[in-house]
Amino acid sequence: MSLVIDLVEISDLTTRPQVFKNPNWRSPTRRHKPLKNLLSDEQKRINLLNQDPDKKANFPNNVNYFSIQAPPSLKPGKNYCDITGLPSNYKAPSSGLKFYNLEVYEIVKNMTAGIDQQYLALRNANVVLR
Amino acid sequence: MPVSSNSKSGRYNHSRDEDLPPQKVYPLRDLAPTTQPEYISTDYSENVPIAIDLGKSETRVGLVNGAMPSHRFPTIVSRYRDRKLTKTLTIVGNDIYLEPSVKSSSKSPFDGNLVTNWDYVESILDYSLAHLGVSSSGFVNNPILLTEIVGAPQSHRRNMYQLLFEAYQVPKVVSGIDSLFSFYANSGRDGLVIGTGHEATHIIPVLDGKGILNECKRIDWGGNSAVNYLQRSLNLKYPYFPSKFTNSQIDYLIKDHCYISTDFDQEMRSYLDMDVLEQKDVCVEAPFTEVIKPQKTEEELRLETEKRKESGRLLQEMARKKRLEKLVQKEQEFEYFSKIRNEIANTSKKHILNTLITEGFDDEADFKKYMTNLEKSLKRARNQDVGEDEGPAAETNNFPLVDIPDDQLDEDEIKEKRKQRLMKSNFEARQRAKEEKLAEQKRKEEEELKDKRFRETDLNGWIAEKRSQLQVILNKKKERKKLKEELNNRKSHAAQQRMKNIASLASDDKNGVDSINSNRRRRNQNATIDNDPNDTFGANDDDWAIYRDIGENAEQESEFEEEEDTKILKIEQELLEYDPNFTVEDTMANNFNWRNSVVHKFLRGPRPFNQEDSHEQHRIHLNVERIKVPEIMFQPSSIAGIDQAGIIEISENIIWNRLSDEKRYEVCKDIFITGGQGYFQNFEERLYTEFRSFLPVGTELKIRKAENPTLDAWRGMSLWSKTPECEKSYISKQDYEEMGPDYIKEHNLGNFAN
Repeated sequence: MSLVIDLVEISDLTTRPQVFKNPNWRSPTRRHKPLKNLLSDEQKRINLLNQDPDKKANFPNNVNYFSIQAPPSLKPGKNYCDITGLPSNYKAPSSGLKFYNLEVYEIVKNMTAGIDQQYLALRNANVVLR
Repeated sequence: MPVSSNSKSGRYNHSRDEDLPPQKVYPLRDLAPTTQPEYISTDYSENVPIAIDLGKSETRVGLVNGAMPSHRFPTIVSRYRDRKLTKTLTIVGNDIYLEPSVKSSSKSPFDGNLVTNWDYVESILDYSLAHLGVSSSGFVNNPILLTEIVGAPQSHRRNMYQLLFEAYQVPKVVSGIDSLFSFYANSGRDGLVIGTGHEATHIIPVLDGKGILNECKRIDWGGNSAVNYLQRSLNLKYPYFPSKFTNSQIDYLIKDHCYISTDFDQEMRSYLDMDVLEQKDVCVEAPFTEVIKPQKTEEELRLETEKRKESGRLLQEMARKKRLEKLVQKEQEFEYFSKIRNEIANTSKKHILNTLITEGFDDEADFKKYMTNLEKSLKRARNQDVGEDEGPAAETNNFPLVDIPDDQLDEDEIKEKRKQRLMKSNFEARQRAKEEKLAEQKRKEEEELKDKRFRETDLNGWIAEKRSQLQVILNKKKERKKLKEELNNRKSHAAQQRMKNIASLASDDKNGVDSINSNRRRRNQNATIDNDPNDTFGANDDDWAIYRDIGENAEQESEFEEEEDTKILKIEQELLEYDPNFTVEDTMANNFNWRNSVVHKFLRGPRPFNQEDSHEQHRIHLNVERIKVPEIMFQPSSIAGIDQAGIIEISENIIWNRLSDEKRYEVCKDIFITGGQGYFQNFEERLYTEFRSFLPVGTELKIRKAENPTLDAWRGMSLWSKTPECEKSYISKQDYEEMGPDYIKEHNLGNFAN
């Protein structure tokens, strides 16, 4: 038995008309929504709900995807070297990269254009052009 | 300062490196391909609830009468186009790993935390139910238990219920939160649940078995985020790594080698110290096929070296001859011009100038410059190897024809004379070279003797002088490096000064024309450097010579640097020998010692790096990453730039600000870790020390991990399905048809209506 036939059989197990399925079921078209749209739709729904005091009374616990987001930290952040990860006290004036010592600074200074942004992107500090 | 003999012997770095035992090398693990297609269960029975934990990384499905889910597979679907059959195949879960080409097109129904592609979910459900062996026709006669994330959007539930009630016509459905099910499976009542999933980490307080979702918080960091983070870090750490890291490889790196540090800052600070690194550095080698060079026999090798030697000797011979020829030519030239110099020494200025101009010089200064240069190069040429030892010694004085005038000789003799003359000049040149070399050697010896005497009479003075000499050279070196760096920056003072020099050089060259040009330029204000009609630069080929004049000559520079380095080395060697306060640590070479290089230790671990070794080329070293990656859960904003507080700060806030006084301490008795990242070593220890730091002394504190951080959610569903509470919480098909998809019954482990 060759592998190709194998795969077809395996695929068939999933895609064949399943006996346990409702014979009248037709999959709705376009059931794919990007995350962004999904979230904005949910936000809209919640906003509408909040505007309507009658409906709102039905849901005393307003727990939704957005309300449980963790808040920003109130504690001062620590500084770590962007290259080596060691605790760092210095920041390169040209790129904003944090570095551990003079030796690492040599690397930071002579970094090819673009690489510094990739390092910054690791901690979401890169410049994003829109 | 007394000098220990240790530091002196430390000079021999190479022997020290050889002492190091080879480092343990781990293979880079990857997912093993599956060999068998997923099995189909045979123990299906109707009416037994089916628990489906549709996780972001793994789906677990099974009838609740089993102790464990009967099917576990990655939540991925591959729509694979088979070109031969012109058919699109749909492969799900483990079966994707049967064939590498299928794997590459696999996708998840999730995007981040949420399901975005419901076609894939339907495929996964079809696949799951088919493999469970469901055989009823037209409907699935089993209650379904599902997992959900906290605060799941309504569209999620609507799509799910639509599928289950309409496509599969299941009798009833209930959904709950995965980490709460896990807590339930571990018989928790009051506690703080920390669920660290694939895409997010949830922290939920639980009181009397009920999840207090109002106080729940989600940090957008999970196992998958960690994989992405490490992957990007490694790509930056080893930009020229010969192979690409796959997600599953990185996943294994994290699982096998990362651990939570109990005291991050402290441990990080010393991580790259040699002794610590020796213990903690992990060396991983990616698989590769080694290229084996064909072995040659000894005879072949011997022949080869002989051949090489022979050709080398010939080349040297030729070079020597050429050098000798040049030397002779130079000497003749020197002789000729010296004669002129002597001739014109006492004549009038005008005469001097006339003679020199006929000889092709600009003026007297030019001539002088030429002569000094010639003298210098002559001296240098004499010091080179011109084969002075092998000149035919027998012929020393055997040039009888040279001094006889031509008219007394016949034709053959004239030829012979020419030959003899050449040989004579060659011989003389060699002789002079020999003398010059001897003189040079003598001068050196004298210098050394003087140096030695100086050292013996006044050691301190000698040391001071040598040190200052060394300092001068080092400073110069530094200065040059700085200048070079500055020249790289277009805006720096040095670079601008250079541009000015270039500009003035350019205008000097065509002085006459330029004054007219500058007048015109003033008239035509709009002319720029690009369109100036008066700019004739480049029309004449000689214009480009300017770039040769100002360009840095790389070859010359490197030669100069080499010379400087040998000088430094020599002085250091002397100082090492005689200066008791000068140790190996002070030498320049030591500054390049890899043991002192943070970057080397970060990249290559506690061993020297051999670039030629193909094994070492395929190795990566994990050191700081081992604790840095898990640490992001605790410091998301400092390390990964996620603008959210970490696990500890959120927990502290929940415990202190969100719970009543009596409940606060109840919760502390059971801090519960579950989810995929719960496998990290030291998780409990770290939480214990961190929680202690914000709780009052004497608070009862207990931290525990789920028995099985990834499977306990399913086990919890299975256990819970047998309780009356579960029976009460089901939504039946009838409820769905009457109340619509938004209707849910709230229960202890589930989401609230919203």
